[in-house]
Amino acid sequence: MKNFLILFFSFYVLALLQSSFLVHFGILGYVLNFILIITIFINLFEESQKNLGISAAFIGGFFLDIFSENFFGFWILTLLAISLLIKFIFKKYVRFPILRRV
Amino acid sequence: MWYNNLMKLSPKFKIGRRPPVALILITILLITFFIVLNLAPVKKETKNLFYLISAPIQKALWKAGDNVSYFFEMVREIKNLKKENEELKLKIVGLLTENTKLEELKRENEVLREALDIGLGKEFKLLLAEVMGKDVSRDTLLINLGSRDGVFKDCPVINQQKVLVGKIGEVYENFSKVILVSNKESTFDVEIPNSGVQAVARGKENGKLLLDLIPREKEIKEGDLVLTSSLGGIFPRGLLIGEVEKVLKSDVMAWQQAEISPAFNLNELEILFVITNFK
Repeated sequence: MKNFLILFFSFYVLALLQSSFLVHFGILGYVLNFILIITIFINLFEESQKNLGISAAFIGGFFLDIFSENFFGFWILTLLAISLLIKFIFKKYVRFPILRRV
Repeated sequence: MWYNNLMKLSPKFKIGRRPPVALILITILLITFFIVLNLAPVKKETKNLFYLISAPIQKALWKAGDNVSYFFEMVREIKNLKKENEELKLKIVGLLTENTKLEELKRENEVLREALDIGLGKEFKLLLAEVMGKDVSRDTLLINLGSRDGVFKDCPVINQQKVLVGKIGEVYENFSKVILVSNKESTFDVEIPNSGVQAVARGKENGKLLLDLIPREKEIKEGDLVLTSSLGGIFPRGLLIGEVEKVLKSDVMAWQQAEISPAFNLNELEILFVITNFK
């Protein structure tokens, strides 16, 4: 629950930053999507049995959808798909013998 | 090899395995849910609620972002402005040089036009010369034509108004000295067409000439024009020298004398013509 709340507020702040502050510093009209990057990182370094990555994808997607003009659910579905794909690949096909995942 | 050292493929790895039916169902349900949500007014209300809560923070963030980006834009712009300024300065220098050249050409053109108008080119073989230096105390000029250009000693030098300025003294390869008519060494035959007087003009220095050997019985007036005569053979006939400024006549003198002021202004001499051939 604690992690969920932290994610909620962090992503809220990040979404605000992205939509109001970082838009001024776009490169070729593109703004760095921190929520997407953080979601990918959480999923990469999380144990495949845990669900924080999925929660991150949902919350992150939700806020991105709130502050974007896209079809509502576009970011939720995209982030969920990315998270599930990472989890699926890591669970099924990849082992890190050197690194121990958190 | 490196890939195999870092990662080991899972034993469950099998190609062509079917995705679980539950996953497909969940995906379809989610998509349907979002389609319905987009059609329902609840989406608008949710967004509105978040915008309402976030508005003060968003406003502050937007302002901050605007200020920061403006600052960076200014920094970038200053760099551009500096570069642009340097380029413009160079351009100005280039244009000024070009302008000066054009001014010179314009002046030269005007002088040539004037010379053409009075038919100097038909009458004489001329060389265009620019004055490079003046020695006012010795009544000489330095021009930019020399032996290489076909100039030789004693060539008459005139201006565009057909006024006699002097004759060539020393000739160098690229430059020549012009002895002005007012130079002490300068002596030549002249005539005053009004009274039909033939006389000798002599340089008096400081830009003045003295007319000598005028017969006493001949009458000359101040303001009479003095032209070169063909007697001495140094200058072509009919070149204007100046006008009589003062008549010097006395009972004790066997001849009359007169002071002449040259028709050219020494300070305005910039372009001259050297006559290399005349009939």
